[in-house]
Parts: sequence; structure tokens; C-alpha cells
Amino acid sequence: MTDLLLSQIKGGNESQFGTDEYVVNLGPQHPATHGVLRLVVKMDGETVKETIPVLGYLHRSIEKICENRTYPQCITYTDRVDYVSAMSVNLAFALATERLMGLEPPPRAQWLRMVFVELQRIASHLLWMGAFAGDIGALTPFLYGLRERERILDLFEMTCGQRLTYNYIRIGGVMIDILPEFVPKCRAFLDYFEPKIAEYEELLTYNPIFLERTRGVGLISPEMGINNGVCGPSLRGSGVACDVRKQQPYLYYDQVKFTECLEPGGDCWSRYRVRMREIRESVSLVRQCLDRLEPGPIETKLPPILKAPPASEIYSRIESSRGEMGIYLVGDGTAKPYKAKFRCASFSNTYVLDQLTRGWKLADIMAVLGSLDMIVPEVDR
Amino acid sequence: MTNDELKSKIEADFKDKITSAVISAQKELIVTVKPENYLQLCQALRDKGDYLFQHLSCLTAVDYPKENKITVVAHLWSYKYAHQVTIKLDVDRANPKAPSLEKIWQSTNWFEREVFDLYGVVFEGHSDLRRIMMPEDYTKFPLRKDFTDDGFIIKPN
Amino acid sequence: MTGEKIIQTIAAFIHQILGAAGLSGIIFIIDPVLCAVAMFGFISLFVMFLVWMERKVSAHMQSRIGPNRVGIFGLLQTVADAVKLTIKEDVKPIHRDVIPYTIAPILAFVATFAGMVVIPFDKGIVVQDLNIGLLYIIAITSFTVIAILSAGWSSNNKFALLGGFRSAAQIVSYEVPLVLSLVPIIMTTGTLRLGGIVDYQAGHRWFIFSQQAIAFFIFITAATAEANRAPFDIPEAESELIGGFHTEYSGVKFAMFFLGEYIAVIVSSAVAVTVFLGGWLPLPFLGFLHLPGFVWFMAKLVFVIYLIMAFRWTFPRLRVDQLMDFGWKVLIPIAILNVLATGFVILLLEGGV
Repeated sequence: MTDLLLSQIKGGNESQFGTDEYVVNLGPQHPATHGVLRLVVKMDGETVKETIPVLGYLHRSIEKICENRTYPQCITYTDRVDYVSAMSVNLAFALATERLMGLEPPPRAQWLRMVFVELQRIASHLLWMGAFAGDIGALTPFLYGLRERERILDLFEMTCGQRLTYNYIRIGGVMIDILPEFVPKCRAFLDYFEPKIAEYEELLTYNPIFLERTRGVGLISPEMGINNGVCGPSLRGSGVACDVRKQQPYLYYDQVKFTECLEPGGDCWSRYRVRMREIRESVSLVRQCLDRLEPGPIETKLPPILKAPPASEIYSRIESSRGEMGIYLVGDGTAKPYKAKFRCASFSNTYVLDQLTRGWKLADIMAVLGSLDMIVPEVDR
Repeated sequence: MTNDELKSKIEADFKDKITSAVISAQKELIVTVKPENYLQLCQALRDKGDYLFQHLSCLTAVDYPKENKITVVAHLWSYKYAHQVTIKLDVDRANPKAPSLEKIWQSTNWFEREVFDLYGVVFEGHSDLRRIMMPEDYTKFPLRKDFTDDGFIIKPN
Repeated sequence: MTGEKIIQTIAAFIHQILGAAGLSGIIFIIDPVLCAVAMFGFISLFVMFLVWMERKVSAHMQSRIGPNRVGIFGLLQTVADAVKLTIKEDVKPIHRDVIPYTIAPILAFVATFAGMVVIPFDKGIVVQDLNIGLLYIIAITSFTVIAILSAGWSSNNKFALLGGFRSAAQIVSYEVPLVLSLVPIIMTTGTLRLGGIVDYQAGHRWFIFSQQAIAFFIFITAATAEANRAPFDIPEAESELIGGFHTEYSGVKFAMFFLGEYIAVIVSSAVAVTVFLGGWLPLPFLGFLHLPGFVWFMAKLVFVIYLIMAFRWTFPRLRVDQLMDFGWKVLIPIAILNVLATGFVILLLEGGV
């Protein structure tokens, strides 16, 4: 298979096993590729000459499946598109369907959605921090990040019974109302968690070895980033203001105060800093949303069969933990989408990996891949 | 710019190059363009001062077997002006060919590979058009409406 | 009862038995052999304890509990691991180079183990107190380079080869600061014999307090790099090369590499304790406790090993070229300056050597 692959790549027919270069397969099963991503790396000694990602090992044809399911049935599949940040994808699809059909969820549902999506962002960034530090070699922050994430998952489990694939944010609102003890427990968690962020930053941010591994590595300039489709925290690490919550506010993001975290550096360290700052912003956002929660209905009245208007389409974007998540829905008057496209941040972010690692060392591939916060189910769907 | 302003501006700038510019019921501006003007329109949309659609959000395709066409859909976004436009291009279903946008937005490299893989649309001018999700020696185009996966299902005796 | 007395009593007892059996002629062979066997037994037990300690230390640093099922506090965990590794299937790649493949783990284990021969656990408790003790240790632990290179090469695996290259480059370049940090000690004490260095420290203050604190830190850093431990564990960087040079090894052979790494840590820590921390000497203000020197030595040894373990679970990993930069451009100049400074001070204080 590798021969077939290499022979199809431009220039591969001439000496692909040239005199000084050799091809290393960071195969689908690998401790550091965040899932089943295969990287074919052409190397010259320790220096990388080309990185060719081979995708498709986790392709589950979710888009095709969604063409044969009704809109509410599709929500369960959206959890699996990005299982680390499932609430965001749920929300993306629900928002897209609501815009397509002109539904408006009640305010309580919108505030609850915001609470859960921001909690999910914290959880996703904590897992990312652990994985990124683990790739660099610091094995301990992974355990610390997971410890805090467990508390968030406990909050989720209390609400919807699930820890990973929630199916909670539904079309028209949310699945079920929160328990009365949710708000005090959430506030207690936030009070406990906020000083911990400082601890983790102290462990990693100015550690000389961490700085050496991430400063100056994987430089994305703003123009190159925008042109290559980088989005989300990876692009904010290059100083580009690209947060969908600010540019195209959805839910009630225009009614709450939060700053967009921008860092000018453009290297792995800047992207790390952006995400750590985003965790703090999300903590403040959750607090604001909990303050604004008022009693009310959690779901809007829906027709028994949800049908899209004929010949309709929508492209709806949200800011998921990884970047811009876009859902393109085409409706044809039936209860099932004619086309559902998931535009995932990791897919476009992974494209720049090759350009960022040419001329660097093998260890830098891990650092760059980790800093782009790529997870494979988003890439392959 | 608002959708109406954009619509009138695009119609003014590119009157005979586009087939139609519509604002849908879901408040999106959808511009359908003729194949020979596709690249020119996209280049202008990216570079010209009032548009500055620097970010290509998504490039995908929709299969309409009844109308015998595949529509290549590109969603553009401008970080500076925070406006969005959808560009559509219809290609013939029997022999789908479309110009590649890779020189304009490099992010389309993978998006177009995915459309080629799943729909079979050949993008002319693409530097590396090969399958991205499916295995290299796969022959079908899964997201087409007439796709059947016979051969993958092992029926019990 | 000092350690010396204990050993002399046991030795006299054994000589008596052999004499009674009419075999007094081979005493000169039996003595070192028995010492080596005793050392082997003791070190094996100590390694078992160390493996448990590493798992517990790492667990508590990571907010976990660590092994607590097998035996009280999980103390028998290493026994369970050893049994598991021994009964594992010995998976061998087909196109391996047989002789280096088989010899590499054995060499890795033996080379480091042979370094324990000159470590003095107490005054007189040492297998062989060679005149050239320090030189011997440095020389014999260098054999691990051959072991790692042959493991990487013979596995017929690109990852293993990369790991072998990286490791060889790393070990060879960190030998230099390792030796250079010990040179001021040799200059001050005038002897390579480890027992002699401890005797010198008995009369003067320990080296880490008196003059060679920098040398201690250089030595510990270089020793961590020698043993391929984090933050210098690029050769076995799990997140990049799966297993580095020991990717293709399983079962007992893998266990030997694993053990070899631990024993390298023990040997380096023991040298550090002997040379910098006063060996079997009691802590200056706790001398009234009258504990045998052996206990002091083990306490200090466990302390230094704990330091090395804490490094692993705190710091990220250095990239290979950064590692080499650090060794050549930072450690070696500092070590050389240290040597020069020590020589200068010796000249001043003693009016010429």
C-alpha cells in the first residue's frame, strides 16, 4: 500500500528511496498521533523533508449516514464527529437545523447551551493540554488535566447521563432541564478550578525545556494561516482575530463579556498560551451564564415531523474547541437532509502540518501536531 | 457589508459573469457563476478591497442526479468585514470537471481532494488530485446519490 | 559493629569452613566470587525495590495511587512484573542480525552491573576496592553504547535504528562532562580509589558542601543522560519512536534493557553519593546516632535516586539537537571552567602541587 501511495504522489516515481532519505511510517497506531492518523515522513537523517498525512482510517461516512436519517436522528451522529468536544458539534448541528427551519429556542435553553458548550471547551482544552505536554515529554500534566476534566464530566453526567457522547443539545432546545444541585456544584467546581490553571501554567509555561521545544517551532504567519485555512486557537496564536463568537455571534455571545485571546507569536508556544487563556475566559463565561439563567421552558414547540423547506440550504458556523465548525445543510422538503457537510477545524488545520515541519526534526512533528489540537475523528468523519 | 449591499455590489461588478445572485430565505447570499468566470470571480472576491474574502470556509459539492448536475459549493468569509457569500458552480454529472481554486486559497487543496474522492469531480489545475479518505485503489464515489456498496456487505447464507 | 567488622567475621567463618574441608588453596578465588554473588543478590533486591519506588513516586506526583494490589502497598509488584516478562513469548523479527540481537541486552545489563564492583557501601564492604575505581566505572559503563547500537542495528527496524543512533550520540557526548566533573575531585584527593575519596571527605567537608556543588549538578545531569532517562530519554521516546532501540525486544530481553537502565541509575547515583555526598559517612550533625555506615549510604543513595526519578516526571523531553547543544555548549564549558578554577584554588592554597 505504501508503494501505491508513494507512486501516486508527485515525484514519487523517481527514486522514492533516494540515496540519503528514508521513509518512516508513523503508522496509524501510534501513541502520539491523537488517533488513527498515519504520517508518512520522508527524512534525511533526523531532518524531515516531507510529511504526508494519510487520512481515512477513521472514516465512518457520517455525512452519508446523515442523508438517510431524520434531523433529530442526526444529532446522535454529531457526537461522534468530535467526541472530545461533543457538545459543540451537537450545538452546531442544532443551530444549523434551527436556522434552516426558522426555529427559535427559548432563552433558558440558549443560556444552558452556552454553559455546557463553554464547560465543554474547558474540558477539551484540558485534555489537549495533557496530550500536548505528553507529546513533548512531560507526562504529569496529562493526569492533572484529566483530574479536572473528570469533575466537568461529572457535571455532564449529572445532567444528561453521559460522559462523552451527550446527545444533549437538541433541535429546538436542550434535552432535559438541569437538576437543582447543578448550579451550586458548577460554581463550586469553578471556584476550585480557577487557581489550578495557574498551577499548570507554572509547571509548563516558562519551563526552559518546554520553551526550547515550542518557541519558534511551527511558525504560522497570519497570511499563510488564513490562506491555508487554519482556524480557531491555532490562528489566534498568530494574532488573527477569527473567533466566530465575536464575528458572527450565535446564542447570546453578544450579551456577555469576554475577550478574544490573541497572541502575536505564531509558534507552538503562542498557541499553547492562547488555549490556556481561553480556559480562563471560558470559566468567566460560565459564571456569567449561570448568573443569567432564569426559569423557563427548555424546548420550543416542534412539529411532530421536522421538515426542511424545499430547496433550502444553510451554512452555519460556530466556534468549537478546535476552531471553526461549519455545518452545511441542504434541505429538500423532506424530513431528512439532502446533504449534510461537516466542516471541521482539524481537517483544515492538519493541512499545514507539511509546510510547518519541512526542515525541522522528527520531534517537532509531534510538537506541531499537538499544538494544532488535531483530533482524527474530525479529520475523517 | 450587509447581504443586500453585497448583492448589489456583486451584481454591479460582475454582471455578465454570474448566472444569478440570490438572497435565500435563510438570509444567505448565494451567487451562481458560469464555469469560465469561476476563477476570475473568486480571485476578485479574495483580493478586491471591498470584498476581502480571505478565508475559504468550506468547499463541497451537492449531487443532483435528477437535474444531471453536481454543484460545487464554496463558502467564503471575510475576517475584516465579517460578511459571507456562497459561490455555486454547476458541473455536468456525466463528466464533472471544475477549475481548481488552489492557487487562490491554498486550503482548497484538501477540500477539493475530498470532493474528488467522494463525488468524482476532477479539478483542473490542482497540484495533487488523489483520493483522501478512501483507499488509493477505490473506484466508486461514495457520496453520490446512486452509490451502492455492493461488495462490502457479506450476506449470511 | 561496623560494616567492616561484619564482613571480616563472615569472611573468617567461610575461610574456616574451607580450611576445614581442605580447600584453603582456592580462597583467593572464592572470596571475590562470593562477594560478587552477594552483591548480585543485594542489587537484585534493591532493583526490585527501586522499580516499585519509581511507580509509587510517579503515581503520587501525578495524583494517583500506584500499585497497591500485589502485596502490602504493592511491594510485590516487581515480582509480578518479572514473572510476566519471563513467561512472555520471545517475539523476534525474522530478518534480525542474530548475534548482535542476542548479545545486546546481555551486554547492556552486564556492562552496568560490572560497575557495582567498586562501589563501597561501608568501610570495607566493597567487592574490590580497585586503585583505579573511578576510571574503571567510567570505562565499563561505556559498554552500553555498543549494546544500544547493536540493538538498534540488529532489529532491522528504522525506528530502532534511529533510536540507536540518537542514543549513541547522546551517551558519547555526555561522557565528557561526566568525566570532567569528576576531574576536580581527583585533583583534590589525589586518588582514583573510591574508598580513598570517602576517606578524604571524612577529614574535610563533603565535596558537595565544600567546593564541588557545580560538579555535583553537572554529574547528576550527565548521569541522567547516560542512563537514557528523562529529560534525556529521546532514544526511548514513546511518543515518537514507540520504543526506540528496544522496540523489537520482548520478554526477558526487554527486561534486561529495563534492568540495565535501572542499574545504570544506581551506579551513577552510588558514584555521586560516594564522591560528592560522603559515601558511608554520617551526616555531620547526626553522627551521634551511631548507625552503621551502610545505612547512611543507602539513605543517601535512595535520596539521589529519588531526585533522578523526580526529574523524569517533571520535565518535558529535550529534542535531540537541543540535547546535544546542551551537552556540548553548556555542560562542557562549565565543567572545564570548574576544573580550571579548582586547579587555581589548589595552587593558591597548597602553593603548588
